[in-house]
Amino acid sequence: MRNGHEEARVLLTVGELSEPLTGRHWDAPVVTREVSARAARYRRGGLRPGDRVFLHFGNRLEFFAELLAIWRLGGVAVPVDGALTRVELERLAETVAPRFSVVDDATDGAIARALPPGTTVLDATESLPPPDLHAVLPEDGARPACDALVLFTSGSSGVPKGVVHTHASLAARWSALRRELGLAAYARTLCLLPTHFGHGLICNSLFPWLAGQDLFITPPFRPDLLLRLGAIIDEHRISFLSSVPAMWRLAIRVARPPRGGTLRRVHCGSAPLPATLWESVREWSGTPEVFNTYGLTETGSWVAGTSGGEFTPADGLIGPPWGAILHVQRPGDAIPCAAGEIGQVWIESPALMRGYLGQDDLTRQAIQGGRFATGDLGLLDARGWLHLRGRERDEINKGGLKISPAEVDAAAEGCRRVADVCAFAVDDPLYGQNVGLAVALTEPDDAAVRELYGWIRERLAEGKLPARWWLVDAIPRSERGKVSREAVREACAGRPPLDLTRILQGR
Amino acid sequence: MRQRHRERVLGFLRTIQKPDRPLDTVAETDSLVESGLIDSLALLEIVAFLEEQYRIDFAAIGLEPEQLTSMSGILDLIEREAR
Repeated sequence: MRNGHEEARVLLTVGELSEPLTGRHWDAPVVTREVSARAARYRRGGLRPGDRVFLHFGNRLEFFAELLAIWRLGGVAVPVDGALTRVELERLAETVAPRFSVVDDATDGAIARALPPGTTVLDATESLPPPDLHAVLPEDGARPACDALVLFTSGSSGVPKGVVHTHASLAARWSALRRELGLAAYARTLCLLPTHFGHGLICNSLFPWLAGQDLFITPPFRPDLLLRLGAIIDEHRISFLSSVPAMWRLAIRVARPPRGGTLRRVHCGSAPLPATLWESVREWSGTPEVFNTYGLTETGSWVAGTSGGEFTPADGLIGPPWGAILHVQRPGDAIPCAAGEIGQVWIESPALMRGYLGQDDLTRQAIQGGRFATGDLGLLDARGWLHLRGRERDEINKGGLKISPAEVDAAAEGCRRVADVCAFAVDDPLYGQNVGLAVALTEPDDAAVRELYGWIRERLAEGKLPARWWLVDAIPRSERGKVSREAVREACAGRPPLDLTRILQGR
Repeated sequence: MRQRHRERVLGFLRTIQKPDRPLDTVAETDSLVESGLIDSLALLEIVAFLEEQYRIDFAAIGLEPEQLTSMSGILDLIEREAR
């Protein structure tokens, strides 16, 4: 994506877009027309190169047309979770300073109140006049080094991080995937993942679709779709889908396997894939090409996976790199570990993010000497295949949704009833992990718990709310005031959590 | 028998419901998700519960998700498919 003319060339290579749930379908000429009409609308509204645009919705045809229209004019797309609370959105808006904010017919109308004055709100579902194609191909559109996309991830300090990708870094990721994986298996790609996640957007959706393959897009994590997964694969002759382990734990139990023989490849990522589940997915899907993938939003998602030929599923096995150099280093210095030695995983790739939006210090900590510190621990075997062995940092991985416990702490701490608080990961049979909360209250009674619950609910999206709560007298801290979340988790593990339902319902 | 199944299912729903939503206010034919009692992913937990407790083989019977959206739908399913 280098200039206006090459943008037009990219548009000619888009595949078809379909929504299996609604039956809606856009072929490539319709996509081109929709993008052009939306680009004309942005141009009329005064979008300038570098302007940022919130997309409060996703996983539907209009989302992809809005995205390409923004890029055509050199704008920066910022897809966000439509379930964010007003407090969360206000915080993001402060960082992003959006010029436009695009909603759909399902967006909560209250979001407008969370936006800075001067933000223009657009409705992605309104009908637009036919475009004048010559009027929407500006010479000053996107250039490789320009920002293209900002995706927010949970920040370890409690402040969400806006991962900024340029057109060049995204193109590098897609080009590497095409080189390493080919396109044939992705001819008819199904995306069940949210389009505000790097995994769902950059790799599951845009990699195949912008290479001319057909994309089938559904609302994310819909259980009724999981129940029908085998039937959907057969009905739409799906050749590929990506997913997270939590989805498979359920799908292989409740959905009949596909019978049409069209499914050629499955990727699974964003959370650890146990070997037993991996084998079950192979059996259910009927293809040996079930690849455990590894990547972070900062690396443009998939950066390695099990594509290098024969392999036996094993816990932590990832595989060879895809358009990146994987480094495993000893903690504290840049000395490479020997084959088989566990160390910190760093990634070097032209697909690395430009940085974190408005957080230069954090960017400098994360990218050193062109290498990105993943925060993961792992080893490289004699073949150069990556095996993961855990994480260095506190993080709760709820079915692929990465939640910073510090963000949960920060949401709770402002409540007047809280003396101290600590969030941590608890095991969960559905999601793998969920959010646990230990809290010391100023007056430990049911009224205080109710007040704190309401306080947190206003500040955290529903998916991040603590699922299990424990009341404690105090949160144990070191002499330097540090909390060991693992120690708190262990202290709570032997005690039953609060009966939150009883307390909140005043029984 | 239906009443016994009902008590058992209610007991399970209490373990997966959103804590601030009163279960008693949801009528038997109300949608469990649309009423806000459970989130949509919890439907899959209901599936797992029915598989384990009533030995219902969903992969074999070709479940329509609508059958699980309300208490009455779940009870009908149990009466029809439980082994």
